[in-house]
Amino acid sequence: MKLISTYKNHYQKLLIAMAVVAAFSSCTKEQVKPQLEDGSSTVVTDLPGDVGSTINTGFKTFYFSFATNGKVDSSAKKSTSWDISFAREYNSYIGINNGTNEGSYGFGGPGKGAIVSINQTYDDVKEAPSDADFQSKGVTSVGWDPGNGLGWYFYDLKTHIAVPVKGRTYVLRTADGKYAKLELVSMYKGAPAVVTDLNWPSPYFTFRYYVQQDGSRNLSTKN
Amino acid sequence: MFKIYLLLYLSCLCLVTSAQSLYKISGQVRNEQGDPVNAASILIKENLRGTQTDTMGRFVIDKLKPGNYTLIISALGYEKHFMQVAIEGASVGNIHIRLKTSAQNLKEVSVLGKQESHDNLIDLTRTPMPSTVITRKQIEMMGSRRLDEVLKEQTGLAIVNDIGSGARAVGLQLQGFDSGYTMIMIDGQPMTGRNSGNFDLSRITVANIERIEIIKGASSCLFGSEALAGVVNIVTRQNISQSQGLASLRYGSFNTFDATLEGETPFAKGKGSGYISGNYYRTDGFNANPYLSEGKTAPPYDSYTIQGRGRYTLSPMNALNVTGRYAVRNSVNQTAYSTTPSRDVLVEKDLNASAILNTNFSTGLRLKTQYYLTRYATDQNITNLADDQVIPTNNFVQYLHRGELQASQTFWGSMVLTGGTGIQYETMNNNLYSGVKSQSTAFAYAQADWKLSDELGLTGGVRGEHHSRYGSSLNPSFGVKYQPIKALTLKAAIATGFKTPDFRQLYLNFTNLAGGGYTVLGTDVFAAELQKLKDAGQIATVFANATKVSTLKPERSVAYSAGFTLQITPAIKADVNGFYNDVRNFINTDQVATKNGGQQIFSYFNIDRAFLTGADVGLSFRVTKGFNISAGYQLLYAKDRGVIDSIKAGTGNYAQVYDTDTRQVRRSKVSDYFGLTNRSRHMANVKFTYEYEPKGITGTFRVNYRGKYGFQEANLSNQFLDPYDTYVSSFFLLNASVQKKLMNNHFSVQLTADNIMNYRDQLMPGQSGRTVMLGLNYRFFKQQ
Repeated sequence: MKLISTYKNHYQKLLIAMAVVAAFSSCTKEQVKPQLEDGSSTVVTDLPGDVGSTINTGFKTFYFSFATNGKVDSSAKKSTSWDISFAREYNSYIGINNGTNEGSYGFGGPGKGAIVSINQTYDDVKEAPSDADFQSKGVTSVGWDPGNGLGWYFYDLKTHIAVPVKGRTYVLRTADGKYAKLELVSMYKGAPAVVTDLNWPSPYFTFRYYVQQDGSRNLSTKN
Repeated sequence: MFKIYLLLYLSCLCLVTSAQSLYKISGQVRNEQGDPVNAASILIKENLRGTQTDTMGRFVIDKLKPGNYTLIISALGYEKHFMQVAIEGASVGNIHIRLKTSAQNLKEVSVLGKQESHDNLIDLTRTPMPSTVITRKQIEMMGSRRLDEVLKEQTGLAIVNDIGSGARAVGLQLQGFDSGYTMIMIDGQPMTGRNSGNFDLSRITVANIERIEIIKGASSCLFGSEALAGVVNIVTRQNISQSQGLASLRYGSFNTFDATLEGETPFAKGKGSGYISGNYYRTDGFNANPYLSEGKTAPPYDSYTIQGRGRYTLSPMNALNVTGRYAVRNSVNQTAYSTTPSRDVLVEKDLNASAILNTNFSTGLRLKTQYYLTRYATDQNITNLADDQVIPTNNFVQYLHRGELQASQTFWGSMVLTGGTGIQYETMNNNLYSGVKSQSTAFAYAQADWKLSDELGLTGGVRGEHHSRYGSSLNPSFGVKYQPIKALTLKAAIATGFKTPDFRQLYLNFTNLAGGGYTVLGTDVFAAELQKLKDAGQIATVFANATKVSTLKPERSVAYSAGFTLQITPAIKADVNGFYNDVRNFINTDQVATKNGGQQIFSYFNIDRAFLTGADVGLSFRVTKGFNISAGYQLLYAKDRGVIDSIKAGTGNYAQVYDTDTRQVRRSKVSDYFGLTNRSRHMANVKFTYEYEPKGITGTFRVNYRGKYGFQEANLSNQFLDPYDTYVSSFFLLNASVQKKLMNNHFSVQLTADNIMNYRDQLMPGQSGRTVMLGLNYRFFKQQ
């Protein structure tokens, strides 16, 4: 009799263990995407680049305006109607509109653009740096990060997938001299939390930005 | 090198010696139903002389001195039987032995007597490193259809996607080693056809597999290059004693359809035998990616396999054996992310064929002379349907020819000496290499398995190999087994492994136009191709290590293994084994240059020194007759020593970690390093099996656990997996099956459910959701 009761006990334990396992295994793992909307920033999702092109054919540069939140025709290259350019491989190099910078697509035009890389999260960037910082730390464009701390993505060595650098925000001076901050989230369609396919369609850009319209350096977006 | 082969060959010939027979013991082994038991092992306890029964269950052991002997009779699936025989001046004949069917355990069964293999004289379960055998019965009870499904439920084995090599790159991980380091064999000969080193086991049906043998640990000492991590050997149907046939149909989730038709028969009064088996399998595939609007992450496919064997006894000494397998797989996977779709088309053809002459001398010497051919052809292309642009992905034809002579002889009833020699020629025609590439290898190996006493056994082996490119290499191994008391067996082994660079690492010239535009160059073509890119003005920076790209050396490992088996009670057995693999010259890609747009150019280096160490534990518990519980667990640490050194030294990117909690970059610590990607620290499984023979009912319930494993880097590139990177979460998979036999065992119905809780994760593209299948089987055989 005793033997039977211990077996019963074992079976009970077994059932409990099975129930625990079942509870663990029942849910499906979701890859959670970060919340981009903060009430003041503009979120752009899946802005298509020169889709269908390859490294061999090259990618056609396109231009984007913060004011209209849309693409600007390349004929208006030498004007202040655009703020950032998307150029080179996978349109992934984000450039400024600056009339005096030879590397800028706005060279020779009226643009006053500049960009600096800040190692802080988008929410934590609350003020644009000084003009001196723009002068000394400014770059012409940001894209792949070879380890210099400026680019917005790197390639994972094993999966060959472009992964955005976390905690890196870009502060810009727009074409007409206002201050703005920009976070580049993804170059893959749907901006998934994790890209799991080598052939995931790109370039489709997801990013958010905030332009301080009053001309001040205040870039605070979270209350 | 040639001298070694000559020596080996001569020593084989010398084994053919004659001896006077004294007395003999002969008889017949049958089962409870009265059918003869084929390939049962008969062992004389006193002098360890042994033999196996033939297809009629008959056996003879000769040259015995008068005395009292204990026969130990064992066979796969039967309980061990002991019998006392006394020889007093006359031979003893007509011994009748009845074996009782044993209640089996679904996990690893250690087998004393086993089916004789005509294709391979090496007993894989008697090599120094730990081995596992999965029997036909276990596969049938699980209701598995493809080889990957069977293997992923075994302790220490995992099926993983290699994301960086494309959506179709899936392979077997063994003790933390990537798929490229495990040799996949069919009847003792290597199978080819890998996608960047990944051997996709779903191309192999388990229909007509008699058993699967797995060696965990370096086995280059017997099987050469590629067996650095271990070996998976598929043993097809071996021994045919009566005419029978099988028709099997299964259908279930995702329109998965599996049909098998097979027949076997002896002919020419038992002198010949043959079987033929055909299998058709199709599946709609499965999608684990919520972003896909069309298409699958586990691609749909259909596959046809035809497999057969013919055996004919030419003379009492000689038998000719012919085996063949041909499989075709077609797969079309049209994928879209709410975009214009792209179509990924794969056509794969796989041939394996062997002609074997088995010669068994009356002295006990067994010889095998074999020619083996395998051909693997794959065409995989991705077409972007927006502009019909075709991106060639994986297109090649690979041939391997091998001639091999194997010999085995038992000395003094206690030492089994097995040796072999052969040559191998391999060609590869890949559109990503310039022209057809070839390599050849000549090899000789020998293994001695010596039972010094009832308590102590030694195993030693060595393989010498001469490679057309890498010259000679010698791989020894040594194992010891000690059984101080009946309930306890202690085991320890050391073996070396090596792997010569594959064609890809030498000749690849690949730019992934669809996936980022990175370029990978094999070391042989590196200098010329880099110069071409330089001349075209595409190169931004060439790193200092580019000058170091040169001839690759073979990868090498030393594997240590030690453990014990403890029979705690007659019903409970524990197996504990620790392993340590020290790998040198580990070939890995490293960036050598950057193109103007930042795309990487990679080549291959012998850069890494890695270690893969851990332990595996197996427990089996026979609760009552027919009800068994078994459990397995593997602990694994797989790390690159180069990374540890770089973190310590604070080299470049290795020095920093982005801490997502503090949102700050901080100095990295060695403890931040999790290990190589795709490896779980903890893996476990529990299997419940139930068999109620009188009613012909069997059932299984299996739980598989995989601890979290690294997927890729996130946040900041520091070239190693830190705690803040992307991980695949730990998970449980639940599988069950139940089977009922009807109509005097002719007919059976089986219901299987894999992944019962429908667990899915976007980071595991190859893992299907809940799969429920209903199977019907009909066996044709003569009722006794």
